[in-house]
Amino acid sequence: MTTQSPPPSRASAQLSNTKTTVEFRVALAAMAIVALLPLGVGNAYWLGVLIVSMYFAILAGGWNLLAGYAGQFSLAPATFAMIGAYTTGLLNHYYGVPPLLGIVAAIVVSGLVGLLLGRAVLRLAGPYLALTTLSFAEIMRLVAANSIDITRGDLGLGVAGLLDSRVGWYYLFLGALTVLLVLFYLLLRSKAGLFLQAIRDDEVAARRAGVDVVFWKTAAFALSAAASGFAGALYAHFAELVTPELGLIAQTGLILSMVVIGGMGTLAGPIIAAFLVYVLSEWLRDVGGYQLVVFAALVVIFARFFREGLWGLAMAAVRRWRQA
Amino acid sequence: MTLLSVRGVTKRYGGLVAVNNVSFDVAAGELVGLIGPNGSGKTTLLNILSGLADPDAGEILLDGKPCQGLTPEKLAHRGMMRMFQLTRVFRRMNVIDNLLVAGRALGLKPGEALDRARSLISELRLDAVAALDAGQLSGGQMKLLEFGVCFMVPPRIALLDEPFAAVHPTMKEIMGGFIRSRHENGQTFLLVSHDMPVVVELCPRAICMNAGAVVIDAPTRAVLADARVIEAYLGGQAA
Amino acid sequence: MSGIDVDLAVNGLITGLFYALMAIGLSLIFGILKIVNFAHGEFYMVGAYAYTLIALALGVPVWVALPLAFVVGAALGWLTERTLMRPLYAGYTSWGLMRDEYAVIVTFGLSLFLINLVDKVIGPYAYRGPPLVETSRIVLGPVLISGHRLLAAGIAIAVIAITAALIKWSFWGQQIRAVSQNRLGASLAGIDTAKASAIVFMLSGGLAAFAGALLSPVINASPDVGVFPAIKSYIIVVLGGMGSVPGAIIASLALGVIESFGAVYLSYQYRDAFGLILLMLFLLFRPQGLFGEKGREV
Repeated sequence: MTTQSPPPSRASAQLSNTKTTVEFRVALAAMAIVALLPLGVGNAYWLGVLIVSMYFAILAGGWNLLAGYAGQFSLAPATFAMIGAYTTGLLNHYYGVPPLLGIVAAIVVSGLVGLLLGRAVLRLAGPYLALTTLSFAEIMRLVAANSIDITRGDLGLGVAGLLDSRVGWYYLFLGALTVLLVLFYLLLRSKAGLFLQAIRDDEVAARRAGVDVVFWKTAAFALSAAASGFAGALYAHFAELVTPELGLIAQTGLILSMVVIGGMGTLAGPIIAAFLVYVLSEWLRDVGGYQLVVFAALVVIFARFFREGLWGLAMAAVRRWRQA
Repeated sequence: MTLLSVRGVTKRYGGLVAVNNVSFDVAAGELVGLIGPNGSGKTTLLNILSGLADPDAGEILLDGKPCQGLTPEKLAHRGMMRMFQLTRVFRRMNVIDNLLVAGRALGLKPGEALDRARSLISELRLDAVAALDAGQLSGGQMKLLEFGVCFMVPPRIALLDEPFAAVHPTMKEIMGGFIRSRHENGQTFLLVSHDMPVVVELCPRAICMNAGAVVIDAPTRAVLADARVIEAYLGGQAA
Repeated sequence: MSGIDVDLAVNGLITGLFYALMAIGLSLIFGILKIVNFAHGEFYMVGAYAYTLIALALGVPVWVALPLAFVVGAALGWLTERTLMRPLYAGYTSWGLMRDEYAVIVTFGLSLFLINLVDKVIGPYAYRGPPLVETSRIVLGPVLISGHRLLAAGIAIAVIAITAALIKWSFWGQQIRAVSQNRLGASLAGIDTAKASAIVFMLSGGLAAFAGALLSPVINASPDVGVFPAIKSYIIVVLGGMGSVPGAIIASLALGVIESFGAVYLSYQYRDAFGLILLMLFLLFRPQGLFGEKGREV
């Protein structure tokens, strides 16, 4: 930061956005690497693992927008994936709606439900918000599991596939993830990024500064839910099966772990961590299987000692390297 | 020309009348001091003016239009800008971003907001810390930053709640200079302060409240000499 | 009231007693730290395993294993407070994470950690704890109940009564209540607030573990067995007014009865949803709970 009063220019207008831009570029580079992986990984199993990683990356990115940037600790990200999956699943199963249309419907429906939830919990914060969203999540899951006549309960609902080729699915998920990454980036470097973080840091101060807190909080809920619903709908057609398990609290726990390990409130961290956590946990499954214990411990340790997660650690290392 | 008109504003909390039928006018360009012992209702009045509490009775006019019961964000857009006694900044955002939040929320274009942020940063001598997160600043620097947030878009009236409390003398000087220069350029202020020398120095006119009501509203010298004001402070300390 | 209704009411109340063992600790933690411990269910799970393994693997008599389960839970609670809760005592933690976020992440993370650790170390299979008495069924008028359940209910009443009395009248109970009302004021008055928090965590962990131990012959302990009881205690703490111990006890009994009748007269499948719906309605419209007076923190 310069101390003389500089002639303001368009270039310096991005000064405070530099951090977001660096994160975006790194995330894009990571996506490029992921795009090249199928050239080396022919194995259908590992392609599947990477596809599920991308599913979680979308969920982690969406929840990070809400929790990491806007400070709204919803414990229902997996629920919105489940809602999205059932939206397209039921439409397809009962009305023969084609998957692509169903996926669009899933984005709209989960976004709307997110908007309603956001409106309802507008005045709640901290533990109250966490408990309300957790209850919402459990109620939705119980409804899905017990409406056996409609959803077939825990047996799951058979859903039409969309693509025959696993590599095709791979690039579809990668495309979806990249589109969301770009959208989030554009959002965060606009005034919305400023407003969401302002709300996270101090809601009263944000209102004093003229930020329309009701609008932006609701928008964050709706956008985050829509992203999760999108991921859930894609996953439904990939797995050709929808079950209430998509909405388990344990799934939310996994998403939370990815975001905390990657670095809350950073654009790239949670998305990259989704790959690391999921791929490593599949890989280590053969060697003892303590991976989930380690990841949960990492969540606690990172929350306690390195709030910015792996991303923060990496940035600190880069700074040190540059100074040396 | 009357900018702010407070008419018969009353606020009760249970049996306690925190603000009791308070009326006064502030003309455009005035710098009015609001004094009174602890618990006299000053901060409650500021809460009502800035939309954080609703009055039980009375009317508030800003530029001749009623504005009681509006949300803080609407009032901010109307030009009623409140500075809190306990400093409120965005602790995990850097100094520039703190200022940009207010600028963008109040309708400035990105380039314009950045220009203003930069000039405020140098005016408030925050250049050296501009890249730090607000949470890393000293208490006085945070207070200065809050001044900046409030003046990104010059408000119709600035409501300052004890801006000088527990602030380093150097910072106090910067703040005093900031208030004076803005006042000379026609900025309207309502300044709540315990610091009598500061009120005497800055405010030509003062209003003293006690037990929720206005005791006296007169030129500052006359207010400080008034027997009721002295009694209010001594009584307040004795209680 | 027909015979079935009496049976439902009595069994509902007994379920409520076990809920109360869980919920009192959660409520105390909320009172003293203003956080929800999302690992509370895992204290219960650990208690169920501790009792079962101590009794079965070590061959210790059940009447020794039961208090030992309390001790194990209390030790876990103490450790949790020591290692993870300390940063909460400063408003903004040094690395800039706000306390609400920190509390959610760290307790949620602890919950995942304990579930997965037990899953790996002990295994995913369910364990059935030995009953305190072998009598399989006792008939009291229209009420049908197993001997273990009846005995466990009696023990639960005694433990709840002792706990409530300790909190109301003992020296540390009074300190805890003072800290709950005003942490800063209590510390200015010379109360060791960190020690009060540690005691609350020990008591909370111990009670939850004790509930798990008492129910282990019924519930079949598995790593995720604590998830549902934890959700019940969230509901109860909200209904009873967050931080209120008498409120938690009354709300526990009420929830037990509501679920018992709801499962028969409304819907068996949705029996677990009634309380959740109540929780949402309360937080949205009456956040101070049935008995609380404090407003929510916004």
